[in-house]
Amino acid sequence: MQQPLAGCSPQRQNSTTTFQNPNFLEIQDLTKKYGSYEAVRQVSLTVNEGEFFTLVGPSGSGKTTLLRMLVGMEAPTSGVIKLKGSVINNLPPNKRPTCMVFQTLALFPHMSVGLNVEFPMQIRGLRESERRTRAWELLKMLHLDPNKYYEKFPSQCSGGERQRVALARALAYNPEILFFDEPLSAIDAQLRKILQKELKDIQRTTGKTFFYVTHSLEEAMVMSDRLAILRAGQIEQIGSPHEIYSYPKNAFVASFMGEVNLLDIVGTGNSFAFWELRRSRFLIHLPETLPSEQKAKLLIRPENLRFSSTPQASPANSLPGRILNEFLIGSRKQFHFEVESGTILTVERLREEPIPTPVNYVYWEPHESQILNS
Amino acid sequence: MPKTGFLFSIPYLFLTACFFVIPLLLVIWFGFMPPKTFSLWQLPTFTNYSFIFSQAYIKSLGWSFLLAICTVILLLLICYPLAFAMAKVFKSSATFLTYAIAASLFIPENIRLFGWVIGLMKNGIIGGTLKLFGFQTDSLLYNIPVILLGMCYVYLPFMLFPLVLGIKMIPDQVREAAFDLGASPWQVFSKIDLPLSMPGITIGSVLVFVLSIGAIAEAKILGGQAIVVIAADIETEFTYGQNWPLGSALSTLLLLATLSLVFFVLAKINLAKILGKSEH
Repeated sequence: MQQPLAGCSPQRQNSTTTFQNPNFLEIQDLTKKYGSYEAVRQVSLTVNEGEFFTLVGPSGSGKTTLLRMLVGMEAPTSGVIKLKGSVINNLPPNKRPTCMVFQTLALFPHMSVGLNVEFPMQIRGLRESERRTRAWELLKMLHLDPNKYYEKFPSQCSGGERQRVALARALAYNPEILFFDEPLSAIDAQLRKILQKELKDIQRTTGKTFFYVTHSLEEAMVMSDRLAILRAGQIEQIGSPHEIYSYPKNAFVASFMGEVNLLDIVGTGNSFAFWELRRSRFLIHLPETLPSEQKAKLLIRPENLRFSSTPQASPANSLPGRILNEFLIGSRKQFHFEVESGTILTVERLREEPIPTPVNYVYWEPHESQILNS
Repeated sequence: MPKTGFLFSIPYLFLTACFFVIPLLLVIWFGFMPPKTFSLWQLPTFTNYSFIFSQAYIKSLGWSFLLAICTVILLLLICYPLAFAMAKVFKSSATFLTYAIAASLFIPENIRLFGWVIGLMKNGIIGGTLKLFGFQTDSLLYNIPVILLGMCYVYLPFMLFPLVLGIKMIPDQVREAAFDLGASPWQVFSKIDLPLSMPGITIGSVLVFVLSIGAIAEAKILGGQAIVVIAADIETEFTYGQNWPLGSALSTLLLLATLSLVFFVLAKINLAKILGKSEH
């Protein structure tokens, strides 16, 4: 079940890109303690040059603390941060060739959009004409017509426009790495999807290294070349979206992916296991053997469950029950299938797929399920 | 329905007219009455104003302005770092400081100033202590720096609290963003903190300026005969001088000078623009 963690994603269109520097950003045993509380515990990871890397974790997992250490706003308790081979632990944020797009965007409210974008260049002492040209280029690249937006104030822009201004300002700093602290979390779902793709586009066209932090695995899957899953200050799994989706390392990672079915099973020493419920007990055919008495979780994806009127022949597993609810989700239909009161399995089928009548069972083949550590 | 808004405002319009507008107009009108008279029903005249400009009153007005401007500048320098610390650095101790500083306002101003007199007079707290160690000092009172000290002391809360509120309004992430984009701590201060705390600076400065231009107790109690401020002149005309029209004319002049300076400054500092709320 364990997969090699390193390596770039093979299934994406930019698989042709060979990353110039595989150890562009190196983090070794990074730890942050607040008193006795460890917000980040011995995190080690590397980011390749030109990569879109995402750190995913629920709130309180320490992702913002980790990010603040990387940009220099928080000092690590121990560990090393290396950028292009040199240690940057002790560089203050204004001396680091890194830049962060904040969750609140943190645009300067007293400056026009144009001056916001020019700010880092003004600090660096660029000539005004040069600053202006570059700011116009950046605004254009981010689909903000400079003629219209240069003079506007951030308060006169919409959420999505402000998002782009913040990104333009960060790009104007010309950092080696851009960090993002959930900048899309305050934006409505529809616009968020557009901006996610735009962000990915900009990352590809500029060739910059992006380090993105989010609590949404879905968002991470859409944009990232590789992602790391953080839980309680520790990394659970690092890999390409494909690797994470296909081979989640444990039940936490799997449950993080949204509506998946995770069955609490107990091994019998062969390829069968018991699924114990309050009133019934099912013998489940596993994809591999599980030691006797060992507890584990069985992952079955909603799309791998099918309906039938009669039990299926072995080795398929059939569970009796009834459909409780159905929801239309775009091209798919989702069902809540009740095995026993309080125990519900999520089933997803294509919208136009015929459903047998009556529905008495759900079934799946053993190879469609995965055994995970809880 | 649009009429109700006006209807509801009538009590306040009435109060404002009775207690603010009419008294003010009376003072202005009184300034045009012949000197040393007490009736409002006479032919207006410019006698008081021509008398003011022929005498040394301009000097008093000048002292008042100078002291007020110096107080504002000194208090800005003293209060900004403290306000910054209270808004951004101290956590729970900021509340204690707020109460401690506000508590001084519960004691009347002139009593607190007499406290300073005891401290600064010959063989007072400072002089007496120094004497124990063999240093003989004269009275530290009755000079302009001591007047300024008293004014800064009395009006400190009026600068400090607006500044604290103003600085509190600067989002931390905006400051961090500037720092992250390469700005030095000094650049963060000059390009972010200072412009964004301008509302607090403006309110505090106007408040302190207006209060200290009408200040009288500091110059009298701590300054003795060192200088005469305009408020003291006005008081004299209304009391010993028994020349209400002249006092009124002086008041009107002070009001005019103060208002024009305040409006000039406020016009220069466009608060709406600073806060990025300018609408076109």
